[in-house]
Amino acid sequence: MTSLVLTLTETLRYRGALGQWSWVLHRITGLGVLLFLVLHVIGVSWAVFFPELWEKEILIYQHPLFTIGEFALTACVIYHALNGLRIGILDYNPKWWKHQQQAAIYVLIGTVVILIPTFILMFQHVLKHYQSPEAPFIVSLAFIAEAQFPFLVGIVVAAVAAVLVSSVVGLFTGGGRASADKNARQSHHGSQLERFWWRFMRTSGILIVPLVFGHLILAHIVQGVFEINLINATIPGVPVNEALGMLANGINNSGTAVEYVAERWNFFAGPVAIWRLYDAALLALVTVHGFNGLRYVLTDYTQGSPLLRRAMGYLCAMGAVALLVVGTLALLGTIDQTMVDMARAAQDAILAGG
Amino acid sequence: MDVTFRIRRFNPEVPGKNKPYWQEFTVKNVEETDRVLELLHRVKWEQDGTLTLRRACAHGVCGSDAMRINGVNKLACKVLVRDVGTKIQIEPILGLPVLKDLVVDMEPFFDHYRSVMPFFVNDTPVPADGRERRQTQEDREKFDDTTKCILCAACTTSCPSFWANGHYVGPAAIVQAHRFIFDTRDEGWKERLEILGEPNGVWRCRTIFNCTPACPREIQVTKAIGEVKLAIQQRKREGIATPVGPIAVGNG
Repeated sequence: MTSLVLTLTETLRYRGALGQWSWVLHRITGLGVLLFLVLHVIGVSWAVFFPELWEKEILIYQHPLFTIGEFALTACVIYHALNGLRIGILDYNPKWWKHQQQAAIYVLIGTVVILIPTFILMFQHVLKHYQSPEAPFIVSLAFIAEAQFPFLVGIVVAAVAAVLVSSVVGLFTGGGRASADKNARQSHHGSQLERFWWRFMRTSGILIVPLVFGHLILAHIVQGVFEINLINATIPGVPVNEALGMLANGINNSGTAVEYVAERWNFFAGPVAIWRLYDAALLALVTVHGFNGLRYVLTDYTQGSPLLRRAMGYLCAMGAVALLVVGTLALLGTIDQTMVDMARAAQDAILAGG
Repeated sequence: MDVTFRIRRFNPEVPGKNKPYWQEFTVKNVEETDRVLELLHRVKWEQDGTLTLRRACAHGVCGSDAMRINGVNKLACKVLVRDVGTKIQIEPILGLPVLKDLVVDMEPFFDHYRSVMPFFVNDTPVPADGRERRQTQEDREKFDDTTKCILCAACTTSCPSFWANGHYVGPAAIVQAHRFIFDTRDEGWKERLEILGEPNGVWRCRTIFNCTPACPREIQVTKAIGEVKLAIQQRKREGIATPVGPIAVGNG
């Protein structure tokens, strides 16, 4: 009905109850988490495909800007998780409507209560890093811009491709608004797909919460991002066993982010590579949940244009497939000593050059 | 006491005024028990006859004077000065095309209303005694809340999903559908669930709860939408709708 800008500004002008702001926050936090998810999955996959790039990526994650981002990301995940649970519970129990306002307050309180100790623990790692005897190495902003630029290009290319594909599809199906409206008026068949997605978002959300909290605890609380490439650091979630090979002994002998990944993915509990399995479950659920959420947001605001509406759907599908393929290939790959050596050499070169 | 109004004006026919703009009016000798609608009348009758608004019964039954009062959708005839203070901001409801000042084009809203078959469907012959189709009191209570809708559009135009996407059927149409879907005497419920199961049906609802406090009839709108979603999910209507009962907390 109204233009996008008007819709967004009026959304902020309407003095809705707490639920409206919970929804705004839910969207912002969801988008924030998805953005990092894309960077992160592609980044980790480089441990398998381009070891030196993953080494660079971790040095970038150690930049103060990314440390701020890490705290924001943690806050986003926790709020999105708790608020998602609230929405899911109310959706399945409409009779509890009386408690919704209270529940929204509990979500805010819960977020703060969880964040306080989390931030304190995370900050210990930051302090430790900056108080270490040798001055911490900080990459330059130009270095970050250069390394992250391909992501930006990738996102823009994907968006342009989605619009192009949508226009081509539009040409062949004559997919103007008129035909879509006509169909809508003629036949009424509930969308089984939307029905499925509604259920998927809620069930996947519940499964994601323990997985992602576990992941956050291991990668941000037990050890911070600063310890990922710390020489001789132990690997959280991998018991130390000197008898095993260098890439499976639970110790980061080389002090590279590549070995860190190798250690975790090479850990077998019995016959099961549990961290590969864990990461695979997390990858699948979060990627599909995240990109469907993005589709919800983008299609909400593009209903006026069939071309853009389709394009947004394609964009999200492409994003999800790309991330799943890259992530899965990485999870199925192997990391050997040569790759760790390459990473080590790349790290040394950056540290020397910096 | 005096009340200051800040009113969003728009007149497509007057050059220079065909863009929305704010205009202030001061109304004197106001009682705190005066209704906002009466004061808008006084602005129109005593100060500026061009101020355009809809109203009919002026008693919260016809549903024609929904507007955004101090940022929130309300019926002007049900709001007293003491509820909103002496500085009152008035805007048309959002998401429907503004025709003039506070008057919006309600046709898109009524299109959505008509799309959900808001009428009783039952083709079986009437009972042998030729009288009413009977229903237990318990069954009647399950949709009692949604019979109260007066189609004022306050809920639909409080919904961020509707603002973003006018194709979304919107809260009011779902409330109207709920009234028939959960009526044990109605036989059109399956078709209504198909209509509301479309991508721009109930799935655009994000459980934001803006519609519930916007309802001047205190209908539990979000609850009703939730029940329709569950009926579509579970492909049945039994055991889903629950009576609202006495309102324990005010909607606002």
